[in-house]
Amino acid sequence: MSSLSARLLISVTLLLVLFFGATIVVLDSAFREAGEQAQEDILDGMLMALIAEAEPNEKGELEMPAELREPRFGNLGSGLYGALHDDSGNPVWTSRSSLGLNVPYGPAPQPGTNRFSRLRLEDGTPLMSLSLAVQWELNDGELKPYTFNVAQSLDSFNAQVARFRQQLFTWFAAVAVIMLTSISFVVRGLLRPLRQIESEISEVEEGRRQTLSDDYPTELTAVARNMNVLIGSERARAERYRNTLDNLAHSLKTPLAAIRAVLSERQADELTSRVESQIERMDDIVRYQLRKPATIHSETVGVASFPVERELTRLVEGLQKVYKEKNPQIDLEVTQGMRFHGETGDFLEVSGNLLDNACKWCKQQVRLTIRPLQPNNNDSGGMLMIVEDDGPGIPVEAVDALMQRGTRLDETAPGHGIGLAVVKDIAASYGGTVEISESALGGAKISVTLAPN
Amino acid sequence: MRLLVIEDDATLRDSLCRQLKELGFGIEQAADGKEGLYFALEYPVDLAIVDLGLPEMSGIDVIKEARAKGKTYPILILTARDRWQDKVDGLSAGADDYVVKPFHFEELSARVNALLRRSGGWASSLLSAGPVELDTARQELKVGGSPIELTSFEYRIIEHLMIRAGEVISKTELTDRLYDQDYERDSNVIEVFIGRLRKKIDPDNSLKPIETLRGRGYRFALERNQES
Repeated sequence: MSSLSARLLISVTLLLVLFFGATIVVLDSAFREAGEQAQEDILDGMLMALIAEAEPNEKGELEMPAELREPRFGNLGSGLYGALHDDSGNPVWTSRSSLGLNVPYGPAPQPGTNRFSRLRLEDGTPLMSLSLAVQWELNDGELKPYTFNVAQSLDSFNAQVARFRQQLFTWFAAVAVIMLTSISFVVRGLLRPLRQIESEISEVEEGRRQTLSDDYPTELTAVARNMNVLIGSERARAERYRNTLDNLAHSLKTPLAAIRAVLSERQADELTSRVESQIERMDDIVRYQLRKPATIHSETVGVASFPVERELTRLVEGLQKVYKEKNPQIDLEVTQGMRFHGETGDFLEVSGNLLDNACKWCKQQVRLTIRPLQPNNNDSGGMLMIVEDDGPGIPVEAVDALMQRGTRLDETAPGHGIGLAVVKDIAASYGGTVEISESALGGAKISVTLAPN
Repeated sequence: MRLLVIEDDATLRDSLCRQLKELGFGIEQAADGKEGLYFALEYPVDLAIVDLGLPEMSGIDVIKEARAKGKTYPILILTARDRWQDKVDGLSAGADDYVVKPFHFEELSARVNALLRRSGGWASSLLSAGPVELDTARQELKVGGSPIELTSFEYRIIEHLMIRAGEVISKTELTDRLYDQDYERDSNVIEVFIGRLRKKIDPDNSLKPIETLRGRGYRFALERNQES
């Protein structure tokens, strides 16, 4: 069970069932007891009425009048039955209502006592009966034992109990539903800070937020604070990793440069060319593998965005210095207010490599186009970067090889080589792609998408 | 011409300095940023080669400081950090070009020559003045279209003079270009080379490409051709 609100609702439901069940049982038995008491009182009254109407006849036997004051004794199937038994248990009189029915009153109780009991007619109708054994003093002062019996059908009483029970269930169910609904609303409200913290964490992961906000309820402030500490140390860790690799690359390259410089002071022979080729290999390894810090962006959290125009201007000014003699014309077509969500270094790496290649290969003209991937979203919707030149272009059969890491199209003019592989890696880490095609300018056209996270 | 080399790795620095000297450059060298900045500000320098990762003071700061103090000579960055961020930082701090370690010495010297040529006001590697054409990439001299054979000493002198065409170049500076500092200097040698160059370029003495300014030095006197 993974959801807190589901857990809470299930526990509350169980508790409600338990409490309401107990309440229902208690109420039901109380109602039933009170009802039964009332039934007994009624039977008692009926029995008294029966006794009051009994009269001894001239034969010295007790007799009931043909019409009793209580009409239900006279109506067939009225549910109220009466009987008078002599001391041997034979009926002296049975009410007209019990005509054709054999009401099993049972044996007489001890003289002078009464007895309530539950009976069943042959057709299954439940009855409650009251029997009273009396010593009747006849005219001549002789005492004769008789048993008065009354019985009443419990059908209507049971129906009443069932109705009551049904009402009880209906009301409690309604109350339970209302309570659960309102509790789930309350829970939703209570858990809102948790949802907020969750969405803020994913914003941090996606780089749209630097840290978690601090307006949480007391129970969550510690969590938010610890998360912020964690984010900070994660960021520091990525930074350290980057610096370590960067320093490693730096400290390897200077000795390589020294070896190469010392080597070039010697007469070229087999040794120098062998060493030279090993230096070449090591240089490739260092350049490609240790450039990884530029592409670990996806592991870093909480990166801000920046406007691309200023960085591009710096880059183009730099390239124009480097290619001063060739003096290529670099056209920038950048959508106003375009922002890049990610590391400045990554953006410069992609645009720098592509523009450098284009300047190297072009005859005179280079064009850089940057526009949003989704129209009218120049902030967070990702970007499309196209670099074109009017140089010789890239042959179709070389495109695949070029996209492999570290492959160089032309060993003597390293350009569209490691640079492009690095561009591909960075684009991939931003969920983007690199495509090589032919430009309307005549040369290569390289399109890179840098999707938002 | 005097180059300033600021590089903290001793092996690399020594080797670079030796090879640059062989090419005829005068060399100042420094092993850290602070010392480097001192040379950059206080010594006559025609070009500085600056490593970016220096102790005491970063290469970027050295470049910024030198530019802020009005130094305009070309600056070439040596960088082990070949991420574009670092290159762009260096170039916008005021450097003119970069070489990524580990470089070939030929690449470095080509960049150095190109920067020096540019600072002399030449836009391309082909220096041409009147009928005289010097291809600094191929190290070839042509007069009126026909190639002229030069020794390497002769080439260095004519290159130096042509790059700074119109400027007066002292004998000392030319001697520096030819020899390591430790060599015994004999300014007569320069006169001999200048004489030979004049004979090769201008056998009938009609062009007068190299002027002698007594007591001051020499000047390449032909007008630079516009298109170059």
